[in-house]
Amino acid sequence: MFTPDDTIVAVATPPGRGGLGVVRLSGPGASTIAGALLDRSEPLRPRHATLARIVDQTAVVSIAVDQVVATSFPRPGSYTGDDVVEICAHGSPVLLSRIVTLARAAGARLAEPGEFTLRAYLNGRLDLVQAEAVADLVEAVTPLQARVAFDQLEGTVTVRIRELDRQLFDLIARLEASLDFPAEGYHFVEAGEVVVVVGAIRGQVEALLDGAARGRLIREGCQVVILGKPNVGKSTLFNQLLGVVRAIVTPVAGTTRDLVTEVTDLDGLAVTLVDSAGIRPARDPVEEEGVWRARQALGVASAAVVVLDRTGPLAPEDWAVLEETAPVRRVVAVNKMDEPASWALESLGLAAGAAIVEVSARTGEGFEGLRETLRDVLTDGESLTDTPPVANSRHIGLLERVAEALGAAEEAAATGAAEEFVLADLQRGRSALDELTGKRTPDDVLQHIFEQFCIGK
Amino acid sequence: MTSDYEVIVIGAGHAGVEAAHAVARLGCTVAVCTLSRETVAHMPCNPAIGGTAKGHLVREIDALGGLMGHAIDATAIQFTLLNRSRGPAVWSPRAQADKGRYGEWMRARLEREPNIGWIVGRAGAVLVEGTRVVGLELEDGERYRCRALVVTAGTFLNGLVHVGPVQRPAGRVGEPASQVLGESLKQLGLVWGRLKTGTPPRLDRRSIDFSRFEKEPGDRPPVPFSFMTGSVERAQVCCHVVHTNDAVHELVRRNLGRSPLYNGQISGIGPRYCPSLEDKVMRFPDRERHQLFLEPEGLDVPEIYVSGCSMSLPHEVQHEVVRALPGLEDAVMLRPGYAVEYDFIQPTELRPTLETRLVSGLYLAGQINGTSGYEEAAGQGLVAGVNAARTVRALRPWVLGREEGYIGVMVDDLTTQGCLEPYRIFTSRAEHRLLLRIDNADLRLTARGREVGLVGEERWEQFKGRRGRFERNVERVREARVREKGRSVAASQVLRRPGVSLAGLASQGVVQVETAAESAAVEMSSVETVVKYEGYLRRQEAMVARCARDERRKIPTGFPFEAVPGLSREAAERLMAVVPETLGQAGRVPGVTAAGVAVLGAYVRRWSGRADGDAAAGD
Repeated sequence: MFTPDDTIVAVATPPGRGGLGVVRLSGPGASTIAGALLDRSEPLRPRHATLARIVDQTAVVSIAVDQVVATSFPRPGSYTGDDVVEICAHGSPVLLSRIVTLARAAGARLAEPGEFTLRAYLNGRLDLVQAEAVADLVEAVTPLQARVAFDQLEGTVTVRIRELDRQLFDLIARLEASLDFPAEGYHFVEAGEVVVVVGAIRGQVEALLDGAARGRLIREGCQVVILGKPNVGKSTLFNQLLGVVRAIVTPVAGTTRDLVTEVTDLDGLAVTLVDSAGIRPARDPVEEEGVWRARQALGVASAAVVVLDRTGPLAPEDWAVLEETAPVRRVVAVNKMDEPASWALESLGLAAGAAIVEVSARTGEGFEGLRETLRDVLTDGESLTDTPPVANSRHIGLLERVAEALGAAEEAAATGAAEEFVLADLQRGRSALDELTGKRTPDDVLQHIFEQFCIGK
Repeated sequence: MTSDYEVIVIGAGHAGVEAAHAVARLGCTVAVCTLSRETVAHMPCNPAIGGTAKGHLVREIDALGGLMGHAIDATAIQFTLLNRSRGPAVWSPRAQADKGRYGEWMRARLEREPNIGWIVGRAGAVLVEGTRVVGLELEDGERYRCRALVVTAGTFLNGLVHVGPVQRPAGRVGEPASQVLGESLKQLGLVWGRLKTGTPPRLDRRSIDFSRFEKEPGDRPPVPFSFMTGSVERAQVCCHVVHTNDAVHELVRRNLGRSPLYNGQISGIGPRYCPSLEDKVMRFPDRERHQLFLEPEGLDVPEIYVSGCSMSLPHEVQHEVVRALPGLEDAVMLRPGYAVEYDFIQPTELRPTLETRLVSGLYLAGQINGTSGYEEAAGQGLVAGVNAARTVRALRPWVLGREEGYIGVMVDDLTTQGCLEPYRIFTSRAEHRLLLRIDNADLRLTARGREVGLVGEERWEQFKGRRGRFERNVERVREARVREKGRSVAASQVLRRPGVSLAGLASQGVVQVETAAESAAVEMSSVETVVKYEGYLRRQEAMVARCARDERRKIPTGFPFEAVPGLSREAAERLMAVVPETLGQAGRVPGVTAAGVAVLGAYVRRWSGRADGDAAAGD
């Protein structure tokens, strides 16, 4: 994978049929290989879209394959920093795969997932954080996700990390100088200053991490599981929330024995809704499995929507679900508000301010309120318009390491530990920053990051 | 042509004496080629050994079986432990030497080695057949055959001494420079450069009223360098502190045009960390005064060294400067300070054994490699000497890792990064600093010295006792418990608290510690440190383990760095100049990024696969 003298090729557009499809070549042989594929005598003009035909010269008689638009981007002014040729063909999977086959016959190698972006990183076109942003941008399912990823690509994280690193480096340099030049009578850093400066830098790291939970929520999305006793309208509510009919709805209790999931955009959050079988004493092994799965789903979910039926009396199963979900984030959706109620909301005995919404899953009444309440529960009431810069778990993990190391340095300095120990912690923090931007990232970590890309990126 | 010696060492300075001693201890015959037997282990600059990180180097040289620690312990006239107020990893011993006695001790020590002979004369050309060194020709034409040659020529290659406008070719003041040897090395194709260093004026002690200065006494009791010295009972001298003032600064400013450093007469690059008086005044215009030290050069000699005051102003200006210093109005200047420019060989020309890549059997050590400092020179001399002897005996190269000691850090820095200015060791150069302490230099290195034959019976026996006690003591401290407010607490936990010492716990009878009387302090320190700072040490050990993978990944001989795509042109050029032997080394070459190392790793793997049957290749 780390071998940039190969010329790599892949279809850059998604699999399936489309109006157009793009095949991308990158590497020292990109122009030569493109030349072998195209029916042109002279080379492509850099940065000019050129109409040409793909010709299969491997056949006994050369056959024209497609009419395409080819564009050459000479190094280093290309996405990868290598010579790149993009061939825009008609979007048939058969056609595109034939072009790739021809390119391979002419000497290109099929690209590994993420290899184009890896090259951009290896060639210094992007730092690691920006390279990861490319993957996020491609994977984004909500506009908000795309925005966070784009900010990251534009360098918002990079700039802040660089600033943190600068401050850290300045302090380290002064501390090192006081260790190495003890007899010169110069004071490079006052004892009390270290605690203050480290504290200030840590504060900035913490500030980045403050928004990180929200950032991760945006980037990774979250899971919301719908729970309730059988036949309270969970699946109808699920469908209503999605705005499409997806779960199978029948009047027979216990229809949804398996988990049905679907992704929806909840004000920018990619929420995976999970419709579950009701949690109740199961009557057969299949239902038992469904109940078990519902519990599992609750275990990993960010929040639960507990559905209650307002028209009948509250059953022991309702109380069981309420009790089971008490420790997690949840919204209580009281269904069938369009029908006469047989109990008052107060009788649930929920704390003041608990998220409780009346809806009618059948008519859609109250769903705006449900969506809003659910979003607030997920984001702890914070607005999503101010997008946090840090969203990636790898970044969060490393920033947490930085904060921990700086915290240790601060404590060491405050308790009067010798500078060399304070420095050991500061250096540890700095090397986590280096790993973040890819300045000092071990190649197995790099491999792992780029493996998560799709092919053609 | 005579062929009396297996190895010849050119130069008898700090690098040369360690190299010759190491070769002799390893059982090879060796000749020391020197201009004069009167200047063995001469100290042309400051009359001191040790200092931050330098003291670590001396401890390491001693732990490996070298000479420097013994020599300074035997002849020092004042001992101090620097950074005492800081942590154990940066404590560094330093001592004022009696220059004359230090040199005499060293010469006598070498003269006792039956394997060492002397060639008194001026080294000329390196004799090479094919790509192997075969001998040395003196300037007078006499030839000596040898199988390995260690060049420790210091500042003698094309040395040019400056005192104001006066320039004289000289290696050190009063000693002729060497043109032929330098020419010969350059003709071999070694890349070279030019550096500058300087030394301050010497004053006559009889003309100084010391009562006017703040005293800097030595430590009581003194902390010796060598693990074999035990305790030192000796009267110690004082150093004194002087401060510059406005009048001095004004004098410097007014005469700047006559300083070779500032009027373009000197092209060589000097050390930033050891600025001349001219540099101090010009680069720090806001400072009202700079601190200088008056250091005696010996017990029976009149010279007082003015530390921190190196300069190359004209003789008469230096005289004025000295007399402008408060308290030195009547001082007599015995010798002016001077700057010296000299050629050096870029150490990127060397393997980690300090052998040149171009000529096998040719080793370079000391200032010729762009370093400054007696201790740096001595450490390299030891490495070059051991490897020269091993090459004669056809044994494997002997290399110390960065995690093993400052010697390893220094050699790796030099050979992967080269020198842009004179190289000085610092504790900050060691990324595993907490593990490289003066208290554990023997635990780290004595076994390494033993494996090559540098550590003799006596030291080895003493070390085995010390290591055994260390291990038992650590075990005891880990197991010991203390009763505190009716609860039983691990002694190790108590020891980790600020202000708690092992000696304190031992005196309360909480834990029994056994130590040898003559080395109790260092033994206590090493036990206390590994328990007290266990968490920090563990983390650095884990870091070492993580780096080890790249350090083990060999880059095969002949690997074409120029053919690796994706490396910046600068990085590729640096790699071709340095020729790293492992991926770890490659990663430390300036301009080589993490991404570059990843790419390099892939190509090394691929290339090794192609090179059939290259057993050393691959990872």
